[in-house]
Amino acid sequence: MTTTTTAFPEAPPEARPERPARRERLWTWMLVPGTVWMSLFFVSALLLLIALSFGTTDALGNPRFGSTLDNIVGIFNPTYARVILRSLVYAVAASAICLLIAYPVAYAIARHGGRYKNALVALLVVPFFANYLVRMYGWQTLLSDESVVMTWLRGMGVPASFHILDTSGAVIGGLVYGYVVFMILPIYASLERMDGSLIEAGRDLYGTSLRTFFAVTVPASRSGAYAGLALVFLPAMGDFISAQLLGGPDNLMIGNLVQDKFFAGQNWPLGAALTMALMVLLLICMFAYLRQTARDAKEANR
Amino acid sequence: MRMVATPDFSRRRFLFGSAAAAALLAAPGCAYMTPKPNPAATKPVEPKIDGDLVYFNWADYVDPTVFDGFQNEYGVKVIQSNFDSMESMQAKLAAGNRYDIIFPSAQWVQKLVAANQLRVIDPSTLKNAPLIFDHYPYFADPWYDQSSAHSIPFSMYKTGIAWRKDKLGETLTGSWSDLWNETSKGRTFVLDDRDEVLGMLSLLLGYELNTAATEELDVIIGKFRNLRPYLRGFSSDDYNNLLAGDAWMHQTWSGDMAALLWQAPDPSIYGFEAPKQGTPVNSDAYAIPVNAQHPGTALLFIDYMLRPENVEKNINYIGYPMPVHGTEATYDEIVADYPECTVTVEDLSRNLYFTNDSVAKTQARDAAYTEMKVGV
Repeated sequence: MTTTTTAFPEAPPEARPERPARRERLWTWMLVPGTVWMSLFFVSALLLLIALSFGTTDALGNPRFGSTLDNIVGIFNPTYARVILRSLVYAVAASAICLLIAYPVAYAIARHGGRYKNALVALLVVPFFANYLVRMYGWQTLLSDESVVMTWLRGMGVPASFHILDTSGAVIGGLVYGYVVFMILPIYASLERMDGSLIEAGRDLYGTSLRTFFAVTVPASRSGAYAGLALVFLPAMGDFISAQLLGGPDNLMIGNLVQDKFFAGQNWPLGAALTMALMVLLLICMFAYLRQTARDAKEANR
Repeated sequence: MRMVATPDFSRRRFLFGSAAAAALLAAPGCAYMTPKPNPAATKPVEPKIDGDLVYFNWADYVDPTVFDGFQNEYGVKVIQSNFDSMESMQAKLAAGNRYDIIFPSAQWVQKLVAANQLRVIDPSTLKNAPLIFDHYPYFADPWYDQSSAHSIPFSMYKTGIAWRKDKLGETLTGSWSDLWNETSKGRTFVLDDRDEVLGMLSLLLGYELNTAATEELDVIIGKFRNLRPYLRGFSSDDYNNLLAGDAWMHQTWSGDMAALLWQAPDPSIYGFEAPKQGTPVNSDAYAIPVNAQHPGTALLFIDYMLRPENVEKNINYIGYPMPVHGTEATYDEIVADYPECTVTVEDLSRNLYFTNDSVAKTQARDAAYTEMKVGV
């Protein structure tokens, strides 16, 4: 509505009486597909989840609506707290490692990629055409004890008791591998957008290359990095495939417990309550991200 | 100023929109309202073609040539879909999907019968049914389905321990306590299955297989805590873990030993034992859901599947023994090196099977299992 009014500030209302209304209606209608899609598959699923977290289970394991608080009380169990904490540590570690890997890659492509830039980005994205699950199975085969990789490592003198599969390292590695591209792309986009002459200006002002990097390049790419951190951290926190396929008994993440409750445990209400808890936690993280980006935007406008 | 005319219109649209959205949002939730009373048990039908067969089973559980034979002989199509767990099978059924034939485990036959979800089957209409019921009296009146009135047994399996003979020796002691093996430390797996893990510990501790008593569950949790340092993981991918070399010892379903045997470069390095404290025995069955559209074809299909030549093909395809007289040798031949895989009539009569309990008991067991899985 505001757009229409500002777009035609001079037009007298009686000159084109139906035009603003018709235009507005067009824009409103264009909202319909997105709204329907989101309410059908996201909002309704979410509401269902909230409703089910107060529900019960029948003898066949089917969830039933109810009004019990048992499930909400049930999630305040030290077992879950421990697993949530572990998931947090894994997700933070994975995000940090992704940042360390992604920044140099994005920098090299954006600043030195030349005419191969787009080809290089395409190459980065190609492996992600394969389903995440399939890639994790690939890692499982690659890292198992009698695999090519491990045989080769032992040949180089690594002790026989050493293994990678079923350790926290493998789980974090799986998360990094699974989500690193979501870190590279936003950082690449922000570095790509940056005006190269700013770096030259920094050097002209007698800044060392390191100083120029921290004073010019890093601030320019910060928003990309924040976006990347959010894009990696949020799915990593809820991930269960990496821990299931690459982790051992001590590496379960909260996603695994949620999945257990919904499938083998046949306790959808408790699974729903756990999901709610996880979402509240992620919302808090999301707010921190939004506040930070808002603050940065304000600084940039100054 | 120009906006003056629109609010009324917008509000009306807003109200209309929200009503539509609310209706839309409420729709998927209907599935979880208190259920309507189920239709009464149906009358048995005759085995004769009444349409194509809508088939719902685990993936790769029937030899494809057996399907081809059925399609050619009766001129109908077999429309296949698969589930990956009993729970997801139930979820699909509850969502209203209609199948002509499903393959629930014994435990799920009992649940589905109790919920009035299975059609009555009269074994006397099946030509090949005597091959089962005359030779395996256990199935004449099994614990999960009174007089086998709604199900026909399909396959059988038990749970034991598989191990690497080249790493741990030719024989173990034949007890569940073999899992506490020092040499195999860090390379031992248990199945990622609540009932199997709790059941294994109950057998070892001398408790009832399906115990849900708080104090017994506490002892089980304590006992498991002391097995934990030996474990590499929880996994139901038993034969792949053994094949990849990650597992030297694995709580294993007997049915998976055939897969191991067929895929291993040197099958002689593996062994399978059925511990003396007892092994849980389980079976899968054929069943016809009440809302099946072609129960006649389904019944005909069961009879066709029970022909000994088809049973033999399926045994050779999936490696599970089936309780059909005359096919026992086929299975024994496959597992000649692992004789303890065989599920005998005596195994069945030891009555070690996972039962269904009240929701409260199941949730108590589930909570104990979660605690064991997460560890300290």
